Amino acid sequence: MKRNLLTVIIGALLILIFVLLLFVFQVRQSEVAVVTTFGKPVQNINQPGAYFKWPWPIQKVYKFDQRVQNFEDKFSQNYTRDNNNLIVTVYTGWKISDASAFYPKFLGSVPAAQSALENMLRNAKNAVIGHHDLSDFVNTDPKQLKFDEIEAEIQQAVQADLSTNNYGISLEFLGLKKIELPESVTQSVFVRMNADRQRLIDKEQYDGAKEATIIRADADRQAAETIANAQAAAIRIRGEAEAAAAPTLRVFEKNPDLYIFLLRIEAMKESMNQKTTLIFDDRTPPFDLFQHLPTNTVSQ
Amino acid sequence: MSEEHPKHHDHGHPHAHGPESDFAPEIQDASSQALSEALRSSFAVVKIVMVLMVVAFFGSGFFTVGPQEKAVILRFGKPLGEGENRLLGAGLHWSLPYPIDEVVKIPITEQQIVSSTIGWYHTTPEQELSGEELPAGPSLNPAIDGYLITGDTNIIHSRVTLRYHIEDPFDFTFNFVAASNTVQNILNNALLYTAARFKVDDILLNQVSPFREAVQNRVEEQSEEEHLGIIVEQCDVESRPPRQLQAVFDQVTIARQNRDKALIDANSYTNQVLSQALGESSMIINQASVASANYVTNVLAEAKRFNDLEPLYDSDPALFTQQYLVKAMGEALTNVEKWVQPTSDNGKSTEVRLMLNREPPQPKVPPGS
Repeated sequence: MKRNLLTVIIGALLILIFVLLLFVFQVRQSEVAVVTTFGKPVQNINQPGAYFKWPWPIQKVYKFDQRVQNFEDKFSQNYTRDNNNLIVTVYTGWKISDASAFYPKFLGSVPAAQSALENMLRNAKNAVIGHHDLSDFVNTDPKQLKFDEIEAEIQQAVQADLSTNNYGISLEFLGLKKIELPESVTQSVFVRMNADRQRLIDKEQYDGAKEATIIRADADRQAAETIANAQAAAIRIRGEAEAAAAPTLRVFEKNPDLYIFLLRIEAMKESMNQKTTLIFDDRTPPFDLFQHLPTNTVSQ
Repeated sequence: MSEEHPKHHDHGHPHAHGPESDFAPEIQDASSQALSEALRSSFAVVKIVMVLMVVAFFGSGFFTVGPQEKAVILRFGKPLGEGENRLLGAGLHWSLPYPIDEVVKIPITEQQIVSSTIGWYHTTPEQELSGEELPAGPSLNPAIDGYLITGDTNIIHSRVTLRYHIEDPFDFTFNFVAASNTVQNILNNALLYTAARFKVDDILLNQVSPFREAVQNRVEEQSEEEHLGIIVEQCDVESRPPRQLQAVFDQVTIARQNRDKALIDANSYTNQVLSQALGESSMIINQASVASANYVTNVLAEAKRFNDLEPLYDSDPALFTQQYLVKAMGEALTNVEKWVQPTSDNGKSTEVRLMLNREPPQPKVPPGS
């Protein structure tokens, strides 16, 4: 009886496992699933876990990767509102959000979904880029730059399209990948940039010369000022000295004749400091001593 | 029932035939007894095997996680634990066997590197290594050459290398099919977006590191927004003007250097002129001070001499004058070239004619020196 019990338990367990395998399926963390009854979607599963189903051929389960997938579109040429031709590429992150909608639309094919997405992206880009000027795409003023707005507008347009068509796809994010110009336009941009550079070169040269001249002139002015100040100080110093000497000078007033005589002597001495030749006749003292000497004047 | 009696050995009735008649079938079928023995022993083997299988079944639940990876246990597809606890670190772990539990291992390399794929002209790794590059055509083909449009609608080449590590491997693995591609897209977008806000000269020269920081900020912002679970470690940006305009960009650089040099020259001129002026002015002041001091001293000396001479003069002015003059002339004439012309005998005045060479003008000595 004991052995029988064990056998029964094991048998029951085996049957249970078999039944579970038939009736239960798992959905992993990164998956979504749809259950179909005779091909018709009846249950949508968004949460991971174990679920019940009727065995084949009544019900079938289709599981899809619900993680974010990357998709980039081919570049397309679009005209901005101010008639600039731009070549724009976007990248997106999309995922399967509703397996019961996704499965019948695309039969579970990711490439089919992406080509539908690409069409929607093309339309959305056409619409959005045509509503913006080039200055919305590139601008040094952050307030006028509408880069993020453009991305958001394209994303909203695509998302609206996805909801309308009930594709079971959600667009998680969208960003601009490339903004380029047609090849011929790059050439004219180069011409303009070249002209800009030439202007910059001239400006640098002109500014350099101008600033250097200003600096030098300022230096000269400061130097002249410094010397002028020094000269003023020198005059003041002399003035002070003369003022200090003034009381002493009164001494000379006691005898102006003597003073004038002494001044004349000094002046005479002063004048003979330089290389001087004096011609005297022999009546001038002290050469009058020579006056009556026998000389060779006669023979001359 | 009678057949079962022999099994009750405790009833104590000695039946001579009993045991014989009871054991007869077994004895009759010795081969079946052998079979039974064999079955019993093989059943024991089966039991051992079954136990081993059960042990193996549960033992298969052990797994190791290496130092460069994390693991997540999915029970019926659902991760076990919450938040940080979902991730099992390096070591030995146990899970229920498949299909109840499933172990997902996530490799975590120390550092991931990703480079931008836009913004740079067409080049190959070999060309990069050798430093040679194909001559640039007159224009840029959008299908081949990458470039960026700057905020002042100029064209520039720029590329960026991002180093990051995965902070949250759970999101990185379970939310994205190819998260590293998403990082790359975000990097490209950040480069495009940042270039669209900067001027070409700022990217190349004036604001190189603000540009780099702006790219990094954008990457961080966007990966935060998309819950990528990464941490940016380093972000290196390289930029250059279009090759078609390299020469003229270089000329601008040279012009800037020349301008800087002119300014440096002007500044050193300023220093020189000012220090000269300071030297000169201190000389002027010194001279004035010395001259003033001399003047005062001289006046005092003169006054003293005057006071000394005055009594002599007062006693006989004519004599004093005469004496003093002769003495002074004697002193004065020592260094002077002299020419004494005798008076003519006939009392007529003599005429002297001199031929003078004009001397070179002497430098003027400033007064007071």
